[in-house]
Amino acid sequence: MALDGRDPVQIDDALRPALFDWLCRLGDNALILGHRTSEWCGHGPALEEDIALANTALDLIGHCQMWLGLAAEVEGQGRTADQLAYLRDAMAFRNVKLVELPNGDIGQTIMREFLFDAFHFELLTALSTSPNTRVAEIAAKALKEVAYQLDRASDLVVRLGDGTEESHARMQAALDHLWPYTGEMFTADAVDTAMTEAGIAPDLSDLHTRWTATVKDILDEATLTLPERRFDVHTGGKQGRHTEHLGYLLAEMQFLQRAYPGAEW
Amino acid sequence: MYAQMIKSESSNDDPQALAEFQARIDRGERIEPKEWMPEGYRKTLIRQIGQHAHSEIVGQLPEGNWITRAPTLERKQILLAKVQDEAGHGLYLYSACETLGVTRDELFEKLHSGAMKYSSIFNYPTLTWADMGAIGWLVDGAAIMNQVPLQRTSYGPYARAMVRICKEESFHQRQGYSIMMKMAQGTPAQKEMAQDALNRFWYPSLMMFGPSDAESVHSTQNMAWKIKINTNDELRQRFVNETVPQAEYLGLTVPDEHLRWNDDKQGYDFSEPDWDEFFEVLKGNGPCNEERLGARRKAWDDGQWFREGLSAYADKQAARRTAAE
Amino acid sequence: MVTASTDQIWEWLAEVPDPEIPVVSVTELGIIRDVRWDDDTLRVAVTPTYSGCPATAVIDMMVEDKLREKGIEKLALERRLSPPWTTDWITDSARDKLRAYGIAPPVNGTASDGRMSRAARLAGSNLTIECPRCGSTHTDKVSQFGSTPCKAAYVCRDCLEPFDYFKCH
Repeated sequence: MALDGRDPVQIDDALRPALFDWLCRLGDNALILGHRTSEWCGHGPALEEDIALANTALDLIGHCQMWLGLAAEVEGQGRTADQLAYLRDAMAFRNVKLVELPNGDIGQTIMREFLFDAFHFELLTALSTSPNTRVAEIAAKALKEVAYQLDRASDLVVRLGDGTEESHARMQAALDHLWPYTGEMFTADAVDTAMTEAGIAPDLSDLHTRWTATVKDILDEATLTLPERRFDVHTGGKQGRHTEHLGYLLAEMQFLQRAYPGAEW
Repeated sequence: MYAQMIKSESSNDDPQALAEFQARIDRGERIEPKEWMPEGYRKTLIRQIGQHAHSEIVGQLPEGNWITRAPTLERKQILLAKVQDEAGHGLYLYSACETLGVTRDELFEKLHSGAMKYSSIFNYPTLTWADMGAIGWLVDGAAIMNQVPLQRTSYGPYARAMVRICKEESFHQRQGYSIMMKMAQGTPAQKEMAQDALNRFWYPSLMMFGPSDAESVHSTQNMAWKIKINTNDELRQRFVNETVPQAEYLGLTVPDEHLRWNDDKQGYDFSEPDWDEFFEVLKGNGPCNEERLGARRKAWDDGQWFREGLSAYADKQAARRTAAE
Repeated sequence: MVTASTDQIWEWLAEVPDPEIPVVSVTELGIIRDVRWDDDTLRVAVTPTYSGCPATAVIDMMVEDKLREKGIEKLALERRLSPPWTTDWITDSARDKLRAYGIAPPVNGTASDGRMSRAARLAGSNLTIECPRCGSTHTDKVSQFGSTPCKAAYVCRDCLEPFDYFKCH
């Protein structure tokens, strides 16, 4: 469907490759986290969680479709969101490593969602007033669902952190495990800098300040301890240098498109 | 059709009260949760609605099996939404069951111990993407065939649940048919998958209605109570009549050499499924019984710390509120 | 060729039911954002309710079918994302229909803002939702999500009815 018959994205041609790359980061984060979340379908710890996890995955795949759709348009090579999702190999994926890690137990899944949502929420909030209207309208749409997800994830982190001894221990272990992957979200590279300088995206260090405040607040209420370890140990996903896990994820996700090239589904 | 072979419970209630109750049902009145009902009616309903709820929950698994491999982003969304829908309907039905004085945890316990059943269909594997189409088209089609009359069932919360559930399920059934359509019109390999899916799911779908119950005393009682509206054979015949032309439209062949139109009865003659296989599946000897039930038990066991954590927090909060007052 | 007035088009679109909650129409839900003629082409702007809602494509198809049936030949559907859909756009008539269908309508101004306050959590405060069956406000939330993204599951503690609440979004 035509996107409101409006003009193609107004962008300096020199900036086009960086914008494409950056939009893939947004789309791939949503796609890969959505994929991991969807692995829970039917296996959740309570019926309410089965429903919520399916809904969260659904939201994220919806966001991915909007971002990758715009990325494909910006690229201008005639590719579609589906082709970007299904026909790129790992090194062309631009998601942060945090979202591709295996789920672990439900505590780790929720902690990951919280750490990512808290970033995602700040990012989309800033992007919803981006002067690039195409970016802004997708961000504003996605923000409504991400606000809900952040509320839910924060609430669960607090309740499980301040629950039983076991739930506390599991949430702390999840936090310790995931912490060194969180820094990548805020580590700016040339693409991020180009987007910030073009006025399209916010400065990642500002987001980091706000993210830290939310995270500290919630972890404090959850009686969990912020790890002392560096938070930017594992980076590179945004540049296509991933963990070993992504290849398996893609092999599964892309199986039909790869096994039956050109078929329509 | 998620409730199979529901045995009715006999009642030891006062004959006069029973007669008045029956008269209410015969007048087409709805029975509501806080009203008097025979113990047998209550127990039978718990069994039926509970089995229906369990089927929704276990039914997430065969489709969940393909979510991570769905071939396009839109198909992935449709499948995710469908699985969410099933879990949501499960929740709704468990809540309807709770109005009859049983808790969801008790029902789960009975599912996990094997004391309560779920529909036999979910013990068959989903082997190719076409199975997502076959489930939407055939399995949901059979379920809807059963649920549409249940919108007129005598128990209020169940009947009202069925109205909303039917609307949502028919939405998903259309999407299942559209997967089948794409495959049947696709490449030779896709068409082969579609035919294979029909071959595998045809008879198990017919089994969903349960064996003939024209002679069954349970059926007679349940129909008098309007817990059951049609006989299994009536529903199966309706399903075949509706589905065969759809298969023809898709260009697929129903795997039944005896299938033919019968002008006299204005319906198709068709082969019965293998009822020995059906009873084996019910006994636990279907292709996926252990996996399906095993997955649900594992989810429950692995989730214990999670549920305990939440309830411990709720207790602490309640204590904090009391302390603050 | 049919060149109906836009008022007429709106009336036709009011006949298109929501695919999952067919007691309300797509116009009552506020998802048709604009109808206009562009020379001899009719342009209809549709907004998705939730980003991942698979009913969106079905709604497009139903809108198209309806307008073709009425004789519109040149038709262009547009996806409009901005401003994002909100349940505030659901009409009063639709709210009544939802209630009669057993779904409690959304309470405006209660959408998540991503900042669920500590105070709210500590108070365990819950939105008061009226049971669509008996009108009691003695109801509890069972699940924040229901069978579709737009709903949450509730139960009435008076008449015991399990019901859906159409969440504010």
